[in-house]
Amino acid sequence: MPGTFSPLEGERLSGNFHMRPLNGELGFGLILLALCSVVAVLAPVLAPYDPRAFSGQPLERPSRAHPLGTNDVGQDILSELIYGARVSLTVALAAGAGTVLLGLLVGGMAGYAGGWLDQALMRLVDGMLSLPRLPLLILFATFLGSGLPQTIAVISFLFWPTTARVVRAQVQSVRQRGYVRMARQFGASHLYVFLRHILPAIGPLIAYGLVTSAGQAVAMEAGLAFLGLGDPLVQSWGLMMRFALNLPGLFLTDRWLWWLLPPALCVTLLILALALMGIGLEQNLNPRLARRWR
Amino acid sequence: MGTGHRTLVYLLTFWVILTLNFLLPRLLPGDPLAALLDPSSSDYVYDPDVRAALAAYYGLDRPLPEQYGRYLLGILTSDLGRSIRLNRPVAELVVGRLPWTLLLVGTALLFSSALALLTGTESAWRRGSWADRGLVSASILLANVPVYFVGMMLLLLFGARLRWLPLAGGRTPFARYPSALAAALDIGRHLILPALTLTLAMLGAKFLLVRNATVNILGEDFMLVARAKGLPEGRLKWGHALRNALLPFVAHLAAHAGMAVTGAVFIETLFSYPGMGRLIFESVTARDYPVIQGAFLVVSAVVLTANFLADLISLRLDPRLREGKV
Amino acid sequence: MMLMVQDLRVTFPLDGKTGLRAVDGVSFDLAPGTSLGIVGETGAGKTTIARALLGLHPPGCVQGSIRLDGRELVGLSEEAWRAIRWRRIALVPQSVGTALDPVYRVGDQIAEPLRYHLGLSPAEAWGRSLELARRVGLEPRHLRAYPHQLSGGEKQRALLAMALSCAPDVLVLDEPTSGQDMLSRARLLGLLDALRREGGMGLLVISHDLAVVARLTERVAVLYAGQLVEVGPTAEVFQDPRHPYTWGLLHAYPDMSTARDLRGIRGAPPDPANPPPGCRFHPRCTQAIDRCRREEPPLREIGGRWIACHLGGLQTLLRAEGLRKTFSVDGGEPEERVEAVREATLDIREGEVVALVGETGSGKTTLGQMLVGLLPPDGGRVVLEGRELTAARGKERRAMMSRIQLIPQDPFDAVSPRLTVAEMVREPLDIQGIGTPEEREAKVRQALRTVGLPASPDFLARRAHELSGGQLQRVVLARALVLEPKLIVADEPVSMLDPSEQARVINLLKEIQTERGLALLLISHDLALVRKIADRILVMHRGQIVEEGPGNRIVTRPEHEHTRMLLEAAPRLG
Repeated sequence: MPGTFSPLEGERLSGNFHMRPLNGELGFGLILLALCSVVAVLAPVLAPYDPRAFSGQPLERPSRAHPLGTNDVGQDILSELIYGARVSLTVALAAGAGTVLLGLLVGGMAGYAGGWLDQALMRLVDGMLSLPRLPLLILFATFLGSGLPQTIAVISFLFWPTTARVVRAQVQSVRQRGYVRMARQFGASHLYVFLRHILPAIGPLIAYGLVTSAGQAVAMEAGLAFLGLGDPLVQSWGLMMRFALNLPGLFLTDRWLWWLLPPALCVTLLILALALMGIGLEQNLNPRLARRWR
Repeated sequence: MGTGHRTLVYLLTFWVILTLNFLLPRLLPGDPLAALLDPSSSDYVYDPDVRAALAAYYGLDRPLPEQYGRYLLGILTSDLGRSIRLNRPVAELVVGRLPWTLLLVGTALLFSSALALLTGTESAWRRGSWADRGLVSASILLANVPVYFVGMMLLLLFGARLRWLPLAGGRTPFARYPSALAAALDIGRHLILPALTLTLAMLGAKFLLVRNATVNILGEDFMLVARAKGLPEGRLKWGHALRNALLPFVAHLAAHAGMAVTGAVFIETLFSYPGMGRLIFESVTARDYPVIQGAFLVVSAVVLTANFLADLISLRLDPRLREGKV
Repeated sequence: MMLMVQDLRVTFPLDGKTGLRAVDGVSFDLAPGTSLGIVGETGAGKTTIARALLGLHPPGCVQGSIRLDGRELVGLSEEAWRAIRWRRIALVPQSVGTALDPVYRVGDQIAEPLRYHLGLSPAEAWGRSLELARRVGLEPRHLRAYPHQLSGGEKQRALLAMALSCAPDVLVLDEPTSGQDMLSRARLLGLLDALRREGGMGLLVISHDLAVVARLTERVAVLYAGQLVEVGPTAEVFQDPRHPYTWGLLHAYPDMSTARDLRGIRGAPPDPANPPPGCRFHPRCTQAIDRCRREEPPLREIGGRWIACHLGGLQTLLRAEGLRKTFSVDGGEPEERVEAVREATLDIREGEVVALVGETGSGKTTLGQMLVGLLPPDGGRVVLEGRELTAARGKERRAMMSRIQLIPQDPFDAVSPRLTVAEMVREPLDIQGIGTPEEREAKVRQALRTVGLPASPDFLARRAHELSGGQLQRVVLARALVLEPKLIVADEPVSMLDPSEQARVINLLKEIQTERGLALLLISHDLALVRKIADRILVMHRGQIVEEGPGNRIVTRPEHEHTRMLLEAAPRLG
């Protein structure tokens, strides 16, 4: 019935997490991610050539020897594609972890300590959140150089505030629960409380944060490479797209089909995989409460 | 937070950006600015006029505080330095490019917001139906596909294959227009693909936001009471549900003003659209530091202003944010 | 008849399984100008009924019939409902903070239905809203404000004004005073009462607050687990509840005039998704019989009241009619006869606590002993659970006597000094020959635990002189409980104990009484003590029962002179 809302559906957010069994989104995303990881790990086995080797003539069309043809300097595109998985996954993992760690550190401290420390840190977070991301990213990338480690560092540096906010909110709510105060009453140290009570409570949150920041990091890295700010020595998917686009008249032939499209598709799929996992995890964070009827 | 307080915070943030902009190149190892004037470095600028202008603008031989002072003064007098690549004042370049970006982003924001508000509300109203579920899935997909991917697909389809729309540029090069209308049409034709791409890029997240916010609102007591009052469906949907959904929507706009700019950079690059985004891209490729910094400042200022405006609108929309009891 | 609801059933689908029956076969009607209250605990289904009357449930959830002036409302399309909502039937919802749209002014929301239903212009509608506001005691500034700027009481009044805007035929009030402080409540109730008297509208008051319903309604329907258990005139139902649940509800209700402690109904309300079979109240009912577990009792008319109970309502457990007892005094002198008890008539209902108070020599102990069958009366009879105790013999008598147990005044006199605790408590079982020795041991241990005594071998082996007065009284209580009686007669159970022990034993008695649903006849001279737990008090003087009534009434407005004297004499601190 349009517009009606059964009283049973009046769900509200709750601070309690309980894990539900693997749901569709989470599962599907996980599968895609696993696929990508397998490709990345087995790259030397799967790729027909060393992506840096000039294994053919420039701009060859797809053939038995080069299933996706070659790029403008004669490197095999398929091999580039396969090895590119490594780059993206590295970025995903490293930047995701970096973001979450920083967010956990700052958000955890703020939420746990409260008082002036909390205020100060939150001012910092707010400030960082109000800065426009990409322009900053570009600024940093320009001046810090374009190596992969720098890219990862810069991405982490720009994304941690969001995680910090969420972590802080959750830590605050757990910290004032009865059982935490009781533990302190029994003489527990802060470290004990943090490890034993707070960390498990924010576990799902961390997983969610990891996955979503990983997804954003992949998108950012590819974007930066696409713009020409990435590491020119690292053959990432974004860089492949960049070089492809540099070719005049790319769209007038069908060269884009085997040079531009594959890396674009791969980036998209990886981001989607991580996003789906994020959605699946999110459903664990907002469980539908026991139905209330009035 | 009162309006005054808010203004202060925004000014403060802008100041932080200004300072960051100033400090970053000067603090880094390898001193990129100095490298511009050092004959032995790879970044050495050959044109002596440009070199002189750079030396004057950056004033690297002066003490740091003085450099800062001159920098701030320059901002106030709209002296943002001189482009290395094009040998023109940065401010001039920016003024030339900014309107295009505003046109692009403005159009996209307008359309994506209108579409999101309309379809999001209807979708929430018919929650659980096939249409709703389909739209939600499509939006999730759309929200996560990188903007350049969407752009590429559109460019391919409409530009290269069907040849309905131009492949690049803000308008036909070297064109002369018999009338303002003709000019508008031409600009319009060139605007369609980039704007469409940006609209689609922003649509996914906006739709999901509106739909989910509306779903929550529909579960609130006052919606039940409104229905109990026997009000017509239109009034319930638009007068009550949407009106309340506007609050988180505007908050989202404020928070994601930067996203629009991000999108613009990619799109202008892809479509060779003559806006700020493209300018940033070109100057980054050429390591044209003055332009990069100037563009960064202007873009930040625009984003902050947009944020600020959105905050003010929020205040107007939500009476609970205003103080005072009866 | 204006509003007729028949066999209303509302089912909500749970994921996958069959639904949750929130309302299961409710029928009532409402005539113009009258008021009906629906009371019940939270979750009984009251709000569900309210919403069904406005057609707010998703289609397919509601079955049964709701007729407004003959027109069937169940199954109407959303379009058709819109014409009826607010104009014919309006709702004043529970103002739990979010019943008003936060982004519009209060006045605009009151005016809204006027504009859409009656087509008034904005100016006209605003004018009408001002009138309505005045009627409910709000000022123009309240109308210009936003909901978050109003207090709870002001919001509730605004909702009332809003509901009255289209002059509906039926006004449904859902928990009109919940969450408000006492003063706002009082004001609102005064307002609603005045509205009711103005006449014309039918008022349906849904609440868990009995005082509200008592004030505003002429008739009341008691709802339990989605079904009606008692319907009748409000004053009568509240004064003399006939259904066990109604009775329990009334006794659980805090009331300024009660000196008695709150007493909850034992057990808990059933899970709506899984109601008990048969009568839904049977797990918590003190008088449930086998039939109650199997069959649902229909709502039947019994003596001017509608009651859903196989037994026809609260049962009288014990009834004494015209009991007389005269003692002859031995001695050489011309015989003196003392009329200890003269024409005593009383009854005790299931699960009730009755106190029999009087001074020494008033005859209360004699009466108590006659009631339990220890002393044969000279006249009159005692009827226990419908059977005459006084006439019973042999096995039948033994069985009946095990249903009613006596706890005498002096615990040391009540037990043999030679027996151990275990033997004392086990004695009734031994006499009646119930169960195997092991089963008896188990019952003994359980009874001891119930009274808060240890069941250790060491304790079980003690003798009377090794226990304190309080402990021994508890042992006597355990002994009384071991046969699982329905009525315990306690004759001055604590007068020989010191004050702190007194309080403990009285509290224990009360606990056991509530938990097991026993009836308790408490015989005492100490009015101050009994008023804490007595539902009814009988005052005895010189062999006659001179006054009887609800506990709180006796204590606050005694009628008989002797009662007043007793009250005056009752010990007071300060």
